[in-house]
Amino acid sequence: MPLDPRTRLALGIMGIAAVMIAADPATLVFEFGVVLIFVRLLKIGRGWLHSFRLAVPVAVLVFLVGALSFSLGEAALLALRLINLLSVSFLLFHTVSAEEMGDALRKLGIPYEFAFILTTAMRYVPLIGQKIRSIVDAQTSRGIDLRLRLKNLGNLAALLMPLLVQSFLLSEHLAIAMESRGFARKGRSMRREYRLRTWECGLMAGAFCLLLALAWWERGGSM
Amino acid sequence: MIQMQDLRYRYPDTGWVLQGVNLAVNRGEYLAVLGANGSGKSTLAFLLNGLIPHFFGGTLEGAVFIDGVNTRACQVSELVTRTGLVLQNADAQLFNSTVEEEIVFGLESLGLPRKEIERRLREITEALDLEHLLGRSPMTLSGGEKRLVAIGSVLSLDPSVLVLDEPYADLDCEATARVRRSLRDLHLDGKTLVVVEQRLQGVLEDGVRCLVVGGGRIRFDGPAREEEAVFRDEHLTPCYPERRRADATSEPLLAVRDLFCRIGKQEILKGVTLDIRAGETVALVGRNGSGKTTLIKHFNGLLRPTAGAVTFRGREIRPHRMAAHVGLSFQNPNDQFFKYRVQDELEEGPRRVGKREPDWFRDICDLFDLNGLLDRSPYRLSEGEKKRIAVASILTVRPLLLVLDEPTAGQDARLREALAVLLTKLTELGCTTVIATHDLEFAAAVADRWIVLHDGGIVADGSPEALQRDERVLRLGALGRLVANGGAVAFPRQERRDDAA
Repeated sequence: MPLDPRTRLALGIMGIAAVMIAADPATLVFEFGVVLIFVRLLKIGRGWLHSFRLAVPVAVLVFLVGALSFSLGEAALLALRLINLLSVSFLLFHTVSAEEMGDALRKLGIPYEFAFILTTAMRYVPLIGQKIRSIVDAQTSRGIDLRLRLKNLGNLAALLMPLLVQSFLLSEHLAIAMESRGFARKGRSMRREYRLRTWECGLMAGAFCLLLALAWWERGGSM
Repeated sequence: MIQMQDLRYRYPDTGWVLQGVNLAVNRGEYLAVLGANGSGKSTLAFLLNGLIPHFFGGTLEGAVFIDGVNTRACQVSELVTRTGLVLQNADAQLFNSTVEEEIVFGLESLGLPRKEIERRLREITEALDLEHLLGRSPMTLSGGEKRLVAIGSVLSLDPSVLVLDEPYADLDCEATARVRRSLRDLHLDGKTLVVVEQRLQGVLEDGVRCLVVGGGRIRFDGPAREEEAVFRDEHLTPCYPERRRADATSEPLLAVRDLFCRIGKQEILKGVTLDIRAGETVALVGRNGSGKTTLIKHFNGLLRPTAGAVTFRGREIRPHRMAAHVGLSFQNPNDQFFKYRVQDELEEGPRRVGKREPDWFRDICDLFDLNGLLDRSPYRLSEGEKKRIAVASILTVRPLLLVLDEPTAGQDARLREALAVLLTKLTELGCTTVIATHDLEFAAAVADRWIVLHDGGIVADGSPEALQRDERVLRLGALGRLVANGGAVAFPRQERRDDAA
């Protein structure tokens, strides 16, 4: 029986908070170990590594800036914290689908319209990615270089203008589609049944206590 | 079931789009609304589910009744159980993360109890044969599957009338046949259907009632018969110019040798070998997903071969250095416009590659009839004008090889005719052209050599007339069932047009 999406959401948010609080190198390494265990348990190693394609260059950049500004140790900590943060976010979004996230927010009393905006934004990220690739292909074909280079900065309008225009068009069509399927009707029902079990409440309370203990530990034993 | 009385409508800031439409449709009828781009046919669809006047605003005179209810008196969200609208843009229509959620969305909007939602979900998935797709993301589906899911997402609301806006756009023969079969079944089950289309192909066989819209008025109302003069007058059946045989030289301009392409885990091209000779016009045909677009992206270095080689005039393709030699124009013109004036848009390519030729620029503007549009904004033009500008902006660079990806997608017969005339003239000027398309009728009109791509490999290469009898092509169904059934749709009679000949 999978966890209720509210539990998963709460655990994810507490995980992110734990990464933010951690300052001690040992804690960050420990947290990385916990992430590895979850990645192994959920059997999502390939997807997790795939998500690093973007995360690693950013982490390297953070490391380099940190090394130049502070010390090597400090730079390594900054980079590790970033990797942890992205990994926990990956785990959260991998284990909670867009609809479950929307349902969880509705159950928490957030109006459906807001929950829908969030889930739809998640849904359209890959589509916008596809649009960007099509625009880059079309512009490259007529000699406009849009590769990530400093000298191409001036060409960015050739990517942003078509993207903006098409995003507006898409949002208008989306509004028509939503309207045509009764989005604006009152009294929406929920197909999935969610039940927050007692032990899940216990799990969340336990995780929260651990988070408090971590905060206490990181502050040198005083609150 | 549907009644329109003395209907006149104009959008905010436009002239009258519909001018005096009277229409009555009975329960269980199958109505095809046909018209060219800008004829007012989509406006008719928006009127049926109340998007006009509630969403678009504008001025509406007269009244629309669905099941006796005046659409003006009801909000769109209240009309969803009377009229279901399936939009042309599948990316907008399908906004949930799985097919299952997509079908259920409308049912949750209605506030139905859980049991009823489950019952209708089962019913719809069985009727449209979608069981195997339920857990998939709509984004990963093929064009035909997306269309069926879009139909299911609306049909689940059990509307009295199902309206579909260009359901066959961008679909190949096979997918078109599948969607058409489903619509025919729904009609046999007694559903009232309104299909809005710009192509006659999809609706002729169904023996449906045809409504031809042009200039905001109903031009024809009766059973669909191909010989009706109104279909030609309203540019619903293209009338292509006679094909000219290109004077191809033996010099290969582009050579592809044993090309393999793997994207992710999927092997998309599996050992493609071909030559494009200077001066010829070649159609790269095949069903959706056969690898056409992936192949042409190798022609200018947008994709690098996983194995094999692509050479242009004997030299290897160098990515980002080919714009002056190989012009590639993609399906969607909106992907490239970023200037405020058409002239700037047309001059952008030559400026980038440092190849300004004023005489050639003028010739292209004359050929594409763009002189009146040069100072206009590209965003504010019709779809046909946008397409002409998109192709012209590639040609202003004067590439040695012009490659067009699905040039007829979403275009009405009038533009397809114009494109065919343009390509014929370009052939006369000695241009070498490759057209990747699943529009076989268009391919037959413009190219005298076809290369058939199927499942990532070339299965045939020759004249279109020979290929329609090619046993391997027929056996594999590489061009779809319509060719296998005698080629009635793929190779219509070719008529000469005096102005083009």
